[in-house]
Amino acid sequence: MSLKPTIGIETHIELNTNTKMFCRCAVVDTDEPNISLCPTCIGLPGALPVPNKKAIEFITLLALSTGCEITSKGMFHRKNYFYPDLPKNYQISQFDLPVGLNGELEIVIDENKDYIQIERVHMEEDTGKSSHSGSGRIESATSTALDFNRSGVPLVEIVTKPVISSSKQAVAYIEELRQLSIDLNISEGRLEKGNLRFDANISVAPEGSTELGTKVEIKNMNSLRSLERAIDYEIQRQTKAFEEGVEIVQETRHWDENKEMTSTMRSKEGSADYRYFSDPDLPDMLLSEDFIAEVETLMPLLPKAQREELMTTGLSLSQSNILSKSDEWIKKLYVKVFDQTKDSVASYNWITGELQGQMRKANIEVLPEWFNDGYLPEIIELIKSDKISFTSAKIILTEILTTDTTPSKVAEENNLYQENDSEKISEMINQIIQENQDIVDRIKSGEDKLVGFLVGQLMKQSNGSVNPGMAKELLLKELED
Amino acid sequence: MDASHLSIREINSLFTKKELKPSELYSKVFENAANSEAALHAHLTLFEEENIKKAAESDKRFSNDESASLLDGIPIAIKDNINIKNYKTTCSSKMLSNYTSPYDATVIEKLKEQNALFTGKTNLDEFAMGSSTENSAFGLTKNPWNTDYVPGGSSGGSSASVGARSSIAALGSDTGGSIRQPASFCGLVGFKPTYGTVSRFGLVAFASSLDQIGPITKTVDDARIIFSSISGEDSRDATSVINNQLDLPSDNTATIGVIKELMEDGISDEAKNEVNKVIEILKSKGYKVKEISIPIIKLSISIYYLIAPAECSANLARFDGVRYGLRVDGNTSYEMMENTRAEGFGSEVKRRILLGTYALSAGYYDEYYGKALQARKEMIDEFAKSFKDVDYLISPTTPTQAFKSGEKTNNPLEMYMSDLCTIPANLAGLPAISIPTGLSKDELPLGVQVMSRPLSDNSLLDFSEIIENEVQFDGQPKGWL
Repeated sequence: MSLKPTIGIETHIELNTNTKMFCRCAVVDTDEPNISLCPTCIGLPGALPVPNKKAIEFITLLALSTGCEITSKGMFHRKNYFYPDLPKNYQISQFDLPVGLNGELEIVIDENKDYIQIERVHMEEDTGKSSHSGSGRIESATSTALDFNRSGVPLVEIVTKPVISSSKQAVAYIEELRQLSIDLNISEGRLEKGNLRFDANISVAPEGSTELGTKVEIKNMNSLRSLERAIDYEIQRQTKAFEEGVEIVQETRHWDENKEMTSTMRSKEGSADYRYFSDPDLPDMLLSEDFIAEVETLMPLLPKAQREELMTTGLSLSQSNILSKSDEWIKKLYVKVFDQTKDSVASYNWITGELQGQMRKANIEVLPEWFNDGYLPEIIELIKSDKISFTSAKIILTEILTTDTTPSKVAEENNLYQENDSEKISEMINQIIQENQDIVDRIKSGEDKLVGFLVGQLMKQSNGSVNPGMAKELLLKELED
Repeated sequence: MDASHLSIREINSLFTKKELKPSELYSKVFENAANSEAALHAHLTLFEEENIKKAAESDKRFSNDESASLLDGIPIAIKDNINIKNYKTTCSSKMLSNYTSPYDATVIEKLKEQNALFTGKTNLDEFAMGSSTENSAFGLTKNPWNTDYVPGGSSGGSSASVGARSSIAALGSDTGGSIRQPASFCGLVGFKPTYGTVSRFGLVAFASSLDQIGPITKTVDDARIIFSSISGEDSRDATSVINNQLDLPSDNTATIGVIKELMEDGISDEAKNEVNKVIEILKSKGYKVKEISIPIIKLSISIYYLIAPAECSANLARFDGVRYGLRVDGNTSYEMMENTRAEGFGSEVKRRILLGTYALSAGYYDEYYGKALQARKEMIDEFAKSFKDVDYLISPTTPTQAFKSGEKTNNPLEMYMSDLCTIPANLAGLPAISIPTGLSKDELPLGVQVMSRPLSDNSLLDFSEIIENEVQFDGQPKGWL
């Protein structure tokens, strides 16, 4: 019997507001602990929360961008559970009246589009950070250090419906969500900094079954790689259990990055009843039509629309997808280079291949200021008109990345223009043939591969200025005669 | 002349005319404290030393005719669940016995701006949970009229202090009657303003949707002066409202409603007599008086004892030994939190946390908390309906005179019933005041309560002042003065 995995993903995105969700402490990016605190975000007696309007704007923006219905009268709820890095021992979150409901996100896998249904988009405040010594987990720690800089930082939580069926889809979904949050300018979207954090609910059931299997929640996946591996591992584990008739229990499992396996964190019996109730310190979250209209004006071109635009230039879906998930300057550069060359493939290949490759190699993070938008089109044009070889073009690119010069100057100074005059080339060929009569004889007696040697000699003598294609063609003709 | 018996306006007039110095009044108030504290235990801490300089500054302002505030140099006692920067805020709990607040409550900031002086922090039922000030971790407070009796609660320290003249006025907090009931038991005016008119920022939360800070004073005018000093919208309290006051008639064109359900069984004859006495006076002055039935009032205690404990179960979760306050060690973080809470909270606080946790638990929410919210909404609607017919609603403040210390400590339900008349105003967010009107046969004070619609506080005070003038209650506790 074949089994079908079902996956739902909960993602927390840290919003890049200046201040925290319920106090006006700065959101800081530092390893120095406990420097951005106030009575509210460390839960001192008598302190009260006041909502951050910008954060609600950001969450609304994300909900709109995923096609969610916006709740006109949202509510803040208290989610009650005890944890040392949760100062109030409740988290202000949203329960039955979240900002957005029933959305959808388009994702791309290779040359195919897919759609992931979003159940809800809501606000949540972040907790502090615990560092457990003696063990990575609170149950067995000998001591725990607490940093509350992160406490109260606004998060948006996005919950998918259980519609994902593979790790590949899960990764594509997170990649899409990450790019969306960057394009909306609501988050830095940096996974390594924990700007995006995700948990997965996984179950397996026989193919064709209408009921889902017992779901298991996987936590502690810190990268796309661990997301992929953890899902694959868990599907395998559950499949094996199912096949062997071992009961799959509803529980939370911890992904161990080093051991590459999941292990039990807590079973359902020990799981919390969060006792959600409306936070009496906070009035209803009123998202008026005017407010929503105002937020709509902030909507940028979304990744999905970017892809559609890029495809009109002639790129494939996967190429458009890769570009849409590239840095802003790369997207812009592509558009400019394409506008001038009208050659989508050359523009795409030069930018995502040679340019980014050389920059990575040379450790250049941003294009030098002299690097004109016209340079790549110029190089592409020189190759197309056979004025330079591809090898020369790479040399030119290297040069203009490090020196304030132009492609044509580099070509001239380094004598990189190719000889395209067939008479001149023929003259040189005749000379080479005379000088290498023994080689010519061997070629004629069947050693075809020595043609390359002669071409090489020709290139050497011309300092590489001869169009190698033409040279080979003329040489073969000469040899036949 | 003993200025500690005078009203704020009378004292200010003496200060302005330079017939009395703030430092002289200050000495008198502390002399009263020295005479009464041992027997009454109104204050937990007295700020005598540190205020000498401040009193001298007040002296100087008055002698230079530079004072612009009615509260300049007026010694005010502060309930010890309101934060004063750099002073302890214990909430009469072992949990916070070593806790010093790093910030001022908004009401304290406002009083400081007006150069009021603070006599100290007054005793209360632990975390304001109680009706007798017997649930204090630091010993009970006695009624200044007769030390065999309780002063009421939870603001019993504040009312005992004003009663014994060890302060001119006091701040209390009122969640279900905690200002009005002790004011009534001590022959004072106690005013709970409209919910939201006085900022709760810096008031240690008991039940956030019900808590309100207000004054306990000797006269209605004193309450008016303090209310106007401490009220106003506060950007640090999201539930605070713009204090746009409604103008109701206070003269005999006003219509008065007598709440039928609060003149029935469970209310002592003495308490009813006080209401009838006031009604007769009002009728004789030409006011229209009618009986008003608000049947849902009979459910007040049930509604209150679901909503208040539910909120408190979350509000008091932050006291866990992690960041401040009492810490009782354990082998793990969770054990430490458990030990701390087991030892730090008194039994009444624990009872309410358990009750609230239960009411919010999965499977019980709808039946208990959810229903209570619904009933609360109905009560708000019923009050709104009544206020279409009448301007003010009158009832006893308490079902009986003050009870004896220890009389109800073993019977929580009976203790809860003493808040029957006061709780509705908290549930409906109404302004409500207790005015002293007479003495019982045991020579203990009795009062009547007047309520009006939200944001009609000033009119309510004006109307109450008319009653005050007509009734001419001039009783004073004997023995201390």
